[in-house]
Amino acid sequence: MISFKNVNKWYGDLHVLNKIDLEVAQGEVVVVCGPSGSGKSTLIRCINRLEAIQKGDLVVDDMNVHDKKTNMTKIRAEIGFIFQSFNLYPHMTALGNVTIAPIRVRKIPKEEAEKLGRETLTRVGLGDRVDNYPAQLSGGQQQRVAIARGLCMRPKIMLFDEPTSALDPEMINEVLDVMRDLAKGGMTMMVVTHEMGFAREVANRVVFMDEGQIIEVAPPNDFFTNPQTDRGKYFLSSILTH
Amino acid sequence: MFETFNFRIILEYMPLYGQCFLATLWLSGLSLFGAIVVGIISCAMRLSHSRILRSIAGVYIESIRSTPLLAQLYFLYFGLPTIGIMLPEWVTGVIALILNSGAYYAEIIRAGIQAIHFGQIEAGIASGLSYFQRMRYIILPQALGNTIRPMLGQAIILVKDSSLLSLISIMELTRAGQLLTSERFMPTEGFLTTAAFYLIIYYMLKAFSGWAEKRLIFQEEH
Amino acid sequence: MWSFYFNELMRSLPFFLKGLWMTVAVAGLSLIFGTIIGFFGGIMRAGRNKPARIIVGAWVDLIRGTPFLVQIFIIFFILPGIGIELEAFPAAVVALTNLTASFICEIVASGILAVPKGQREAATASGLSYYEQLRFIVLPQAMRSILPPLVGQYVLLVKDSSIVSAIGVVDITRVGWLTVQRIPEGLMVFGLVGLLYFAVCYPLINLSGYLERRMTVVSTKL
Repeated sequence: MISFKNVNKWYGDLHVLNKIDLEVAQGEVVVVCGPSGSGKSTLIRCINRLEAIQKGDLVVDDMNVHDKKTNMTKIRAEIGFIFQSFNLYPHMTALGNVTIAPIRVRKIPKEEAEKLGRETLTRVGLGDRVDNYPAQLSGGQQQRVAIARGLCMRPKIMLFDEPTSALDPEMINEVLDVMRDLAKGGMTMMVVTHEMGFAREVANRVVFMDEGQIIEVAPPNDFFTNPQTDRGKYFLSSILTH
Repeated sequence: MFETFNFRIILEYMPLYGQCFLATLWLSGLSLFGAIVVGIISCAMRLSHSRILRSIAGVYIESIRSTPLLAQLYFLYFGLPTIGIMLPEWVTGVIALILNSGAYYAEIIRAGIQAIHFGQIEAGIASGLSYFQRMRYIILPQALGNTIRPMLGQAIILVKDSSLLSLISIMELTRAGQLLTSERFMPTEGFLTTAAFYLIIYYMLKAFSGWAEKRLIFQEEH
Repeated sequence: MWSFYFNELMRSLPFFLKGLWMTVAVAGLSLIFGTIIGFFGGIMRAGRNKPARIIVGAWVDLIRGTPFLVQIFIIFFILPGIGIELEAFPAAVVALTNLTASFICEIVASGILAVPKGQREAATASGLSYYEQLRFIVLPQAMRSILPPLVGQYVLLVKDSSIVSAIGVVDITRVGWLTVQRIPEGLMVFGLVGLLYFAVCYPLINLSGYLERRMTVVSTKL
């Protein structure tokens, strides 16, 4: 589904993605973790070309993402992206937020889109909040609306860039619950996160990155109990001691 | 029109333009100085505890802001003689510019002072600083940083406003253009040269503004 | 004598009201055209096309760097040289529209650039096109920071319109200028001129302030 072949990216002299090779199959849940500045956010932002790459091939669903001739609208319609800071549209209600893309991009008629929107919002537990504005919702609720917004496009892939890092602790679980359901339902997901509990429960593989490179790739239990590399060990020890 | 752009004429009139350029600089510079003084005084009045002072400043500022400079200029030019005050044109012009920009400077300074977070002043009070010490060490330095850009913006406006003085026969850049038009029927050469001189002043002020901001960059709010 | 002149002035009231109407007409037309052009310019100025940004930026700089009086002389005197003959009123509207559009262009561009980057990223990520993003996501949010300075610009427009009197358009200022030749009471005549401008500008200034306060309240809720 997602294929990185020798992907490289530089910011000026800084080599932020260094010879990335990775394959993500359909239905897989991959968690990406690593210290700050390791390039994990940049990695997933390249998948829908929010960031450009200078070298290598990134192929999603048989379409080359960074080819100038590729129709990005088609690719982006199949990828849902969840941001750390939610990025909900403040001037639209929850329903407005989730339906704008289906209406404008998938060209679904308004009534049908609204019906789908209500169903999806209900699915994430916000059926009674469809007419609320983001300012009236808590952080956890806003992030769930953001997930619904992604789901309404019926994507093949969902990408999450530190979805719970900006949330107060008591709201993290409501978002993780929604993500767990998605994973169990067979969605292809790549999640950048520090939530190790979540990773252990639902991830098929954990990708550990540091300084722009992929250091270790392993099933979660293997990685957390028996990291193979020194950097992996160091990272885990620094995470788990707080 | 452009094929016959007469550079010779401009060369011939260049001494005049040179004089007028200096006149514009002199008139604007003098007015700028006066306006800043008037601005500081009016701002102090506006923020004072005395209701009378606040009202006087308020009336002054609101009248200036709600009426055009040209009307204010004519008001003084035609009105002062009727109450016995006879002044050379350029003095009337400078007074009009000072009173006009003074009101805008008062508002700029006020905004700069009020933009300072009250918490800073509280910290000053809490550590025992007097009113004047707080003014000197906390408020005014930050107000300077906040206001340098709008103050230079108003200075640019002031230079452009000085062009109106040409309408009461004062010899400055715009009048030079008018002369070339009326004496030689060459408005193109006349006014384009005038415009070029104003652009020189504009870019010089912009460059100064950039330099001044860089030096005060530590004052920037994040 | 004073009361004689006062009565004469009152008898000239209809003339002043005609001038008021002319001011409103010139300013009103320029407001409409200037806003439309300004919005398009602002969208280009904040857009992806670099050459467009530079060209619009250069146009704005030229207008901000030269006095409006000089601009209106250029349009009125120089355009006939390249075949565009304009009478005073159309020339005035063209010049004022040009001036207003350039300032609104900057206001709109700032407003657009002030919308948080994350909003555009979210819209891009869901596949919305550049124009769909502008229309549904960016502009609605930009209006919040555009509206107060926009109304402020309209106040400036009314005041700058007084300068068109220099090419003979019979607006409030010109009426005052013509009247003071007959009724040599400068204070009275231009006092009335000021009052008329005040009546138009003061409410607009308050509207702008009100909008500014309302918009700030809404954003802090976010």
